[in-house]
Amino acid sequence: MMKTSSDHILTSHVGSLPRPDDLIAANRVREAGEAIDEHVIQEKLRGAVAQVVRRQRELGIEVPGDGEFGKSMGHRINYGAWLSYCFHRLGGLDLSGPDMRDTPPRRSRPGEVVLTGFSDRRDRARFAAAYADPESGITTGPRPATGPVCVGPLTYTGHAAIHSDIANFKAALASAGADEGFMTAIAPGSTTRIGNTFYKTQEEFLFASADAMREEYSAILDAGLILQLDDPALATDWDMINPEPTVEEYKKFATTQVEALNHAIRGLPQDRIRFHLCWGSWHGPHTTDIPMRDIVGLMLTVNAGAYSFEAGNVRHEHEWKVWQDVELPDDKVILPGVVSHATNVVEHPELVADRIVRFANLVGKERVIASTDCGLGGRVHPDIAWAKLEALVAGAALATRQLWS
Amino acid sequence: MKTSSDHILTSHAGSLPRPDDLIDAWGSNDEPALAAKLASSVTDVVRRQKEIGIDVPGDGEFGKPMAQRVNYGSWWRYSWNRLGGLDPHGPSLYEMEPRRSSPGYVVLTSFGDRRDRTRFAAAYGDPESGITTGPRPPAPICVAPIHYTGHDAIQKDIANFKAALQGAGVAEGFMTAVAPGSAARIGNSYYKTEEELLYACADAMREEYKAILDAGLILQLDDPAIAENWDMINPEPTVEEYKKFSMVRVEALNHAIRGLPQDRIRFHLCWGSWHGPHITDIAMRDIVDVMLAVNAHAYSFEAGNVRHEHEWKVWQEVKLPDDKMILPGVVSHATNVVEHPELVAERILRFANLVGRERVVASTDCGLGGRVHPDIAWAKLEELAQGAALATGQLWR
Repeated sequence: MMKTSSDHILTSHVGSLPRPDDLIAANRVREAGEAIDEHVIQEKLRGAVAQVVRRQRELGIEVPGDGEFGKSMGHRINYGAWLSYCFHRLGGLDLSGPDMRDTPPRRSRPGEVVLTGFSDRRDRARFAAAYADPESGITTGPRPATGPVCVGPLTYTGHAAIHSDIANFKAALASAGADEGFMTAIAPGSTTRIGNTFYKTQEEFLFASADAMREEYSAILDAGLILQLDDPALATDWDMINPEPTVEEYKKFATTQVEALNHAIRGLPQDRIRFHLCWGSWHGPHTTDIPMRDIVGLMLTVNAGAYSFEAGNVRHEHEWKVWQDVELPDDKVILPGVVSHATNVVEHPELVADRIVRFANLVGKERVIASTDCGLGGRVHPDIAWAKLEALVAGAALATRQLWS
Repeated sequence: MKTSSDHILTSHAGSLPRPDDLIDAWGSNDEPALAAKLASSVTDVVRRQKEIGIDVPGDGEFGKPMAQRVNYGSWWRYSWNRLGGLDPHGPSLYEMEPRRSSPGYVVLTSFGDRRDRTRFAAAYGDPESGITTGPRPPAPICVAPIHYTGHDAIQKDIANFKAALQGAGVAEGFMTAVAPGSAARIGNSYYKTEEELLYACADAMREEYKAILDAGLILQLDDPAIAENWDMINPEPTVEEYKKFSMVRVEALNHAIRGLPQDRIRFHLCWGSWHGPHITDIAMRDIVDVMLAVNAHAYSFEAGNVRHEHEWKVWQEVKLPDDKMILPGVVSHATNVVEHPELVAERILRFANLVGRERVVASTDCGLGGRVHPDIAWAKLEELAQGAALATGQLWR
């Protein structure tokens, strides 16, 4: 059962935290295919996870994560480890295909909604000059030379990796005296945005991914941890359909993904599953983000016990009002983003408190966990990331005082 | 100054993205080509502001030299070319020796010793952190009496802008000029005291202020020093000491604008536009009365970024004098994400409900030019206009 509180606002975050430089360096060597002693990496990883859990606890994050440290990041700037890690945990992929950013455009038509290539995404097309300008700050780090294509039946091959992640995290939680922690795993809808020459339909591909990833989900839950399902696809696919579809068509398209996800988590303990929705963490204009009000119903059909979503950046901050009209089912919890990766400026604790109080007044103070928009690791400088988590904790304390006074 | 009794007016803080060929012209020594480029690009930028729904346009600060796309300093460095008495070859502000303050002795330290920069030294020093602010040219040192030498430059700026306004059929426009407190943040080996330097800057810059006002334009006085000096005093002083220090700058500014038509003067306060954490920004509530002591008719300030967004509440307790207006920032340079018009409207409404809808002009936190990509800057201004329209719909229904 996920932790709730009846006397203060709980704090957590979305997952990715800044990796120590030596872990990044070791990952980079391994990612380049050079010889490296796997024991050395594992040793670094174990130490880094212990340290990052302790640091979260020290600064007051009540539901810590492992920082996604087991998901390899070979450069300080990296927006994709939450996704790329699964390429190494799934069988049936040929990793020498084109990188996702190099896939050709595929245009949609009424009645035929398909995802287009990254270069043809609508925000990217509208702001092509800004996306291409190295001085614009939109950079998302070094691009891999190749990407995966599904060429055979998908199978889960990450058993050793996930068990090592779990062991590192559980040891870290125990030594920090934390009774609860969350671990992220990618949802099927977000794994299947890669090339596919094996499955006849996107739906077959989706359900195959669901069956494979279910093994990871089960492992995390069996270990007594909170499972966070990362599924930005549910919101960001909107920008990846060109031209813009109708909302109805989009919801139909996205419903299949939710069904695949619900298939993947069938029978698993819903009260320890949280779902993360976001519109993509790159520092772009985001003018083509679909409004929350158009997809909140869809999000709530995911059989999770809690929902994490962006609410701390200027494209989505106003969407707290959605909860004036939408009823959150009684047994569910939300984790709105109240600090964000989208600006280097560190949120003022009073702003954080204002944001929390707005949600608390609508859904109830016991059902709001203060969180981040997206993972902070790889997206802002490490020292800024930690300062933002401190502001989150300070703001939650202010909100607690206002809400329980 | 224009007011409206039927809709929310829109403006911005001044700097707009320069076209690439104007940036190139500023980098060249071809004066006639620059003059021609300036005239045509000011015409274009005023027309574009009008087209997207900016009620009170500026000249984009195009007459203030900027030879790079990323440049956070031209609002201020332009004055180095318009003031006599300066030796242009001093050390850059980052390389100056730190100067530490002590109780009863408040002085500005070097840029490198600023408190946010010190606390986040690794982030500021990391080229991948996004905090870069473009070039760091040598800064001048005052070595002789300061006097205004920018008569030709300001007259050219005014002529370009007035022609552009007329061409676009716009009645009112604003032009920025740096305030003494911000102009005087340079080395000084001539004046005996900081106060003498400040008043010398005030007397010199008054000529520019007067030229802008005499031309029938709105004068915007840029004075981030009033807020961001706080971060430039190390260690942190008491609020009382800081206010005393800042009031000297306000008095110098009021001296510079004495007798000038207050109803066409607006004042811009900000905490610095660089993309840093800004943890050491002084709270608005601590300096709002210092700001209101400036003899301006309207006050522009940051309210659209995560360090200052919550400060609309200051106006629950502070009374804005009846004849004055505010220009809160409702879109910001601080993020590449373009503000949603509904958020813009929400921000406007909070201010309108406290000070009255006729007294709020929707604006930007700071200049957008040089700080975000040109296409993002323009998208933000479009959303500003759309958000103001949404707010109008809610406030006048």
